[in-house]
Parts: sequence; C-alpha cells; structure tokens
Amino acid sequence: MSFALEGISAGYGRVLVLHDVTVTVAPGEIVALVGPNGAGKSTLLRVASGMVRASRGSVRVDDRNLDRASIEQIARAGVAHVPEGRRLFPGLTVRDNLRLGGWQNRNRDLEPVLALFPRLADRLRQAAGSLSGGEQQMCAIARALMSQPRFLLIDELSLGLAPVLVDEIMARLVAIAATGTGILLVEQDAGAALELAARGYVLENGVVVLEGPAAQLAGDARVREAYLGI
Amino acid sequence: MPTVDTAAPATGSPARPSEPGSVLRPPRWRRTTPWLLLVLAVVAGFGLQTQLYTGQERTASTILMFVSLAVAWNLIGGYAGYACFGQVGFFGLGGYTTAVLMTHARLSFWLALPASAVLVGVFAALIGAPLLRLRGHYFAVAMLGVAEGLREVVTNVPGLTGGGAGITVPTVDAGAPTRWLGNDGFYVLFLLLAGVLVGVGLLVSTSRAGYALRAINQDEDAAAAMGINTTVAKTMALAVSAALTGAVGAAYAFQQVTIYPERLFDVDITVLMVVMVMLGGAGTVIGPVIGAVAVAFASEWLRQHYPLVHTFLLGGLIIAAVILLPQGFTTYVHDAVRTRRFSPLANLRRYRL
Repeated sequence: MSFALEGISAGYGRVLVLHDVTVTVAPGEIVALVGPNGAGKSTLLRVASGMVRASRGSVRVDDRNLDRASIEQIARAGVAHVPEGRRLFPGLTVRDNLRLGGWQNRNRDLEPVLALFPRLADRLRQAAGSLSGGEQQMCAIARALMSQPRFLLIDELSLGLAPVLVDEIMARLVAIAATGTGILLVEQDAGAALELAARGYVLENGVVVLEGPAAQLAGDARVREAYLGI
Repeated sequence: MPTVDTAAPATGSPARPSEPGSVLRPPRWRRTTPWLLLVLAVVAGFGLQTQLYTGQERTASTILMFVSLAVAWNLIGGYAGYACFGQVGFFGLGGYTTAVLMTHARLSFWLALPASAVLVGVFAALIGAPLLRLRGHYFAVAMLGVAEGLREVVTNVPGLTGGGAGITVPTVDAGAPTRWLGNDGFYVLFLLLAGVLVGVGLLVSTSRAGYALRAINQDEDAAAAMGINTTVAKTMALAVSAALTGAVGAAYAFQQVTIYPERLFDVDITVLMVVMVMLGGAGTVIGPVIGAVAVAFASEWLRQHYPLVHTFLLGGLIIAAVILLPQGFTTYVHDAVRTRRFSPLANLRRYRL
C-alpha cells in the first residue's frame, strides 16, 4: 500500500538524468526529496506524474503498474501533482480551478480545501493568474486536493515565496498527511523540508546518495555542509 | 446538492455538503435565466418574422445562419482554443451530403439533414484524432488544407456532385423528396437551428465537458493532470462543432437549391465565423451570438448603403473593433463590470495595445 518509483532511469533524448532511483511514499507519510539544482528532482516528479517516460524502472501505486500510463491515467489512479511553476489555469477563476481539480471524481465540494486555505475563500471569483505567488501555491495544492488523492507530489513548494507563507503552507501539509494522504515534497530548501518530513532522500547527479529518517539526514555532516549551510 | 454525483468522501476529513445558494454554488436563478432568455429570444424571433417583408426576411435568415455557425465554431475555437480555419469544409460537406442524398437517393430533407450532420461529425472525428495533436498555427493550417481538399474532391466527382457546374436539388416537381420551404419556412428553420445551437452552447458551457475544454485551452498538460483525457475531449469538441456546422450547411444547400463548390467551400465563411466569435467574445455563450448579429448586420447595412466599398468599410470596422476590444465584447463587459472600469482606454491599457 504505497506509491513507489522503483529503479527509475530517465532523461531527455539520449541524456540520462536519473540513474536507478528508488523512492517510496507510504499513506499518510511526508517524504522529502532534497538535492542541488540539476540533480534530477523535477525530472523524477515528471516521471511520477507521467509527463516524462522512464527508460527503465517502474511507477507503482499499490501493486498497480503505471509505467505506460498517460498523465490522466496516473491522475485517476489517485496521484495528484503540484508541478513546478504551479501550472494553474491563469485565465479561469479560483473557483473554476478548484472545480477542475475535482473534475475526475466529480467533487464539487470546495469547503474542505477552503477550510485548509481560508485565504482562497475570498478569492473565489478572481482569476487565478491575478493571485499572489503564495496564494497561487495554495490554490495549486487545493486544486490537487480536490481530486481527493491518495498521494500528493509537490515540486518546489517554497520557490519564490515569502518565508512566512512557506511556514503557513507547510503547516497545512502536516494536516493533509494526517488525513492519510502520502506526500512527496521536492525542495531546494532542505532544512525546512527535512524538518517537516518523516523520511528523506538526497539526490545528487541523478543518484540517491543518502536516504533515511529525516532527523538523521538533517544531522548528517555531509547534508549539513552541502544543503543546510552549517 | 441534488445534482451532484456523490463522490467518495475525503479520506479522514468529513466532506460537508455546501448549502444550496451559498457562495460556493451559483443560485438556481443564475442557471435557469439563460434558458428563459433563450426561449424568449426564439419567441421574439417568431414575432419579428411577422414584421419583415420578403427581402428583410431573407437577410434575417442569413444573420440567423451566421449565429449558428459562430456558435458551432466557438465550441472548438472558443472553448477548446483550437482555431479551426477549415470550418467551411464541414459546412460544404454537410451541404453537399444533403444535396446528393436528396438528388440521387431521393431522401427527404428531414432525414438528409441529420444524416449529413452525423456524417460530418464522424468525418471530423476521424481527421481530428491525428490533426488535433498539432497545436496553434499548425492545427489552423492543417484544417485550412482539409477544407481546400474537400472542395477539390467535390469538384472532381461530377457524377455525384455535378462538379464545378453545381448541383440542383429537385424542389418543385412531383419527384421532389421535400418541397422547397419558402422564405417563411427557411426563416423558421434557421431560427430553430440557431435556438438549438445556442442551447447546445449553454449545455457545453455549464457541463463537465465545457470545464475540460476551458482547461485544455489554458494549459493542456495541466488539464491532463486533472485526469482529463485531452485527446477524447478535443476530438469530441471538433466532432460536435463539425456536425452542427454540417447541419447548418445542409439547411443552406436546400435553401439555395443550386449549389457550387466555390460558394459552399468559400474560405470567407470561415473567416466570418472566426471574426464573429472573436469580436463577440470567444468561449462565452452569448458572445458568438452578439458577434454574429453585429457583423452580419453591419455587413448587410454597408452592402446596401455603400455597395462599392462595403467590403473595405467592413474590414476597417473589424480592425477598429479588434483594436478596441481585443478580448471580445462579452468579455469586455464582464471585466468592466467586475473591475468597475468602463473606459475603453483602460481596456486598451489592460491588454497592452
């Protein structure tokens, strides 16, 4: 009962970006994936959501193999993706963005996600493209949650956001995980991500160089030196 | 929430149903008012008919035909954002299918019209499946080619279509499968077609399919990430748009009695559809109606008052309208009401022209 990327090798054209990467997320678990720019973190999430095909390895939800699945089939299998740059529908209202999140499961009940992100309730009639960066990130997460996913993949949550907002959103992730949703959080801000997560992976040059309980990673000398700036 | 299918409740967090009429759902009157207005408009169309003399009635029929065409193009070009520059191909194919069926198979017009619509819809789905993989300009150019190709095919099978010399549908003698409807009859036919098509537009606008198309228009990959099968959605949109356009072409062919390839596959018809939707407001229900009435009316008025330069004046008018209202009339009004800035100059600044 988990979301698993097993032995993934993938890339663009002939250039391999990922080499035999294995990452798993259990229900209700927050897993951090940290690493420097260009390590392949976003590529791994693109493989996980079907936007990039792995040349080797498999994508699994529970025991269902999704290697050859299209983007929408993976979404229907209960894996929601908050992509880098959020990819909201900028010309549509916040309400329509959220409704589209619930498109596949015909979920029109906005209240649970508005309870999670009350700021969005005041913005429902506004075009999503006119929101501030933090609100857009909230809207992207809320939209993903409308599909009531079992696993949530979030790419670069903190990118371009004020630290106060990052804290606010991260606090919400704990609440989301508490409902049983497994979260894979990809972050450049390793400190914050490892603080939040139960487990973590460190990706460098397309290879997992370290993995284990987040607290242990945060205490690791190499991680502290390379990512936490201590 | 009586109309919503019950989805599995969120894991853990109990899903509270929102009350009807709360801020989360539009109140009932907002959903029924458009339908009431549509019925009223059709009734008004019947009322208007009693006040028109023959020439005006024919002009009004043409305007109603363009309302239908604009509404049909809006489904693929407006909602889905796939600018289809070959729409006249579906119009001509529908017209020729009906003409051939009535002439050679002696089929009643009332059977030929739906048969044409189905045939055109199936044809569009077959060519749409590969061509809708193209995006932006490439799709537009490919569809332009499809329409030109159809015209060539029709011109080159004279045994069936009469070729460039045209085909005349039997409408008067005893052998006519359906008697010509007369100016009054065609006015009613085009009025009802327009009413049905606007109704289809309303349904699409508020349906799941409409949401899927708007999402595709904005960001196709993100739409797929919402679980939308974008290939199926786009192909369906093109097929429905084409089938409706084919039905209008069928009515037009019968009204004209004698049809020629140059007339039924005239690229100007596509251009008019696109201009009408863009000026009225793409991706809205009422926009194409307003655009079609305004452009068709302006065109007729200019033709009567400035017969020598009417195309030139119409072109100038369209350019001015595109500069002043780049987002279309309906969207402009919507934005202006929401932001309370009604100045057209503010609108120019908003769209950085």
